[in-house]
Amino acid sequence: MTALEAVSVYLPPDRMPVESLAGPLGLTEMQARLFRRFHGLKEVGRDPGASLADLLMKAAAGLDALRGQEHRVRYVLHARAMPVVVPYPVNPLHEVCRALGLGHALAFTVTHQSCASGLLAIDLAGRLLAADAVPGPDGAERNGPAEPLALVFGGEKTFTREAQVFADTTIFGEGASACLVSAFGGRDRMLSFASSVRGEFDSATGENDARLQREYRPSLAEVMRRALDEAGLALDDIAVVLPHNVNLRTWQRMCALLEFPLDRVVVDNIGISGHVFCADMFANYRTACERGLLRPGDRYLAAAVGAGGGATFAAMVFEH
Amino acid sequence: MAAPETGLDPAFRQQVVDTMTTVLDRLLDRAEPVSEDMRLMEELGLSSTLGLELMLELEDQLEILIDVELMDQDQMRTVGDLASFVAGHSRPA
Repeated sequence: MTALEAVSVYLPPDRMPVESLAGPLGLTEMQARLFRRFHGLKEVGRDPGASLADLLMKAAAGLDALRGQEHRVRYVLHARAMPVVVPYPVNPLHEVCRALGLGHALAFTVTHQSCASGLLAIDLAGRLLAADAVPGPDGAERNGPAEPLALVFGGEKTFTREAQVFADTTIFGEGASACLVSAFGGRDRMLSFASSVRGEFDSATGENDARLQREYRPSLAEVMRRALDEAGLALDDIAVVLPHNVNLRTWQRMCALLEFPLDRVVVDNIGISGHVFCADMFANYRTACERGLLRPGDRYLAAAVGAGGGATFAAMVFEH
Repeated sequence: MAAPETGLDPAFRQQVVDTMTTVLDRLLDRAEPVSEDMRLMEELGLSSTLGLELMLELEDQLEILIDVELMDQDQMRTVGDLASFVAGHSRPA
């Protein structure tokens, strides 16, 4: 069963008040006020001196479980919202792999599901590792003491206006996550994954924007319930929800729809980091652990929506 | 028109309605004036973003703080519904 062996997150210590971004982003004073007052987006992290590779390296630097285990890493995945982030032939992921002693690993990017690509990457990593598994002496599939691992990165640079703000909905922050995944680990085991890919919500034409606004929360609720069903659980069994950090208002309304208490949704980072693309879930996982919200055996649910070139709604249930 | 919630200060609710219709007239740039029984989405085409802008304008003009986290937009069909919510879920700023 796919498991998260270790999670590390880098969020830049330098944060910019949302009002200071209004000018550069062409926001009106009213739009900036709305972001702070109702969307709960007060500050976002920026690391102007860091490249994308630097962000990923800073996340990996906190992954103590990787030290001395580099030889076990078979796959390196980078979950990204932006399909293209550097000109050819620059390849930040390959740079990072070389720097970390992971040049032997198969490295690739997971994209086209926007900010839901992070959950997809976890699922893919686990499935790739499981497919490589060999049966043990007792017939059970496993990979042995030197069990292969996958390293899943998330996060990116906010290098264009499109990568900094999404129409009156969210402001993106810089940062990165690094997560070691195994196929048969015992901690933070993935119990289920559900997603719904909705190509009709392509923002390029804008013709379905109003429909996306209407269906956003019911669609996310549907995949959350489907993930719970597949895990054999009910929402009441969930200790905490790790949200995508789109904005606070969306999660207030999601909680009303689901009849789930907001204080069990880890919204702490929305106000101080912004929406850090595919790294949100991992940042919120770290926060949940640091706040003591997850005890051994607790079940939690990560939810994400990727919107832009179509929309993807995704939910994943874990056992801590 | 939805019946105003009991326990609301009628004078304050009316003040909210008056302010709200004035702000909506300007925000929506309509030919006809907005009235209390108009449906927010179907008739006025009020998006959730514009709805929040309306809340911010009400807070500014009435010098109040609205408990927006308690607002269930799906349950508020008309201008009057929204005014009742604001009148019943706000406090002096």
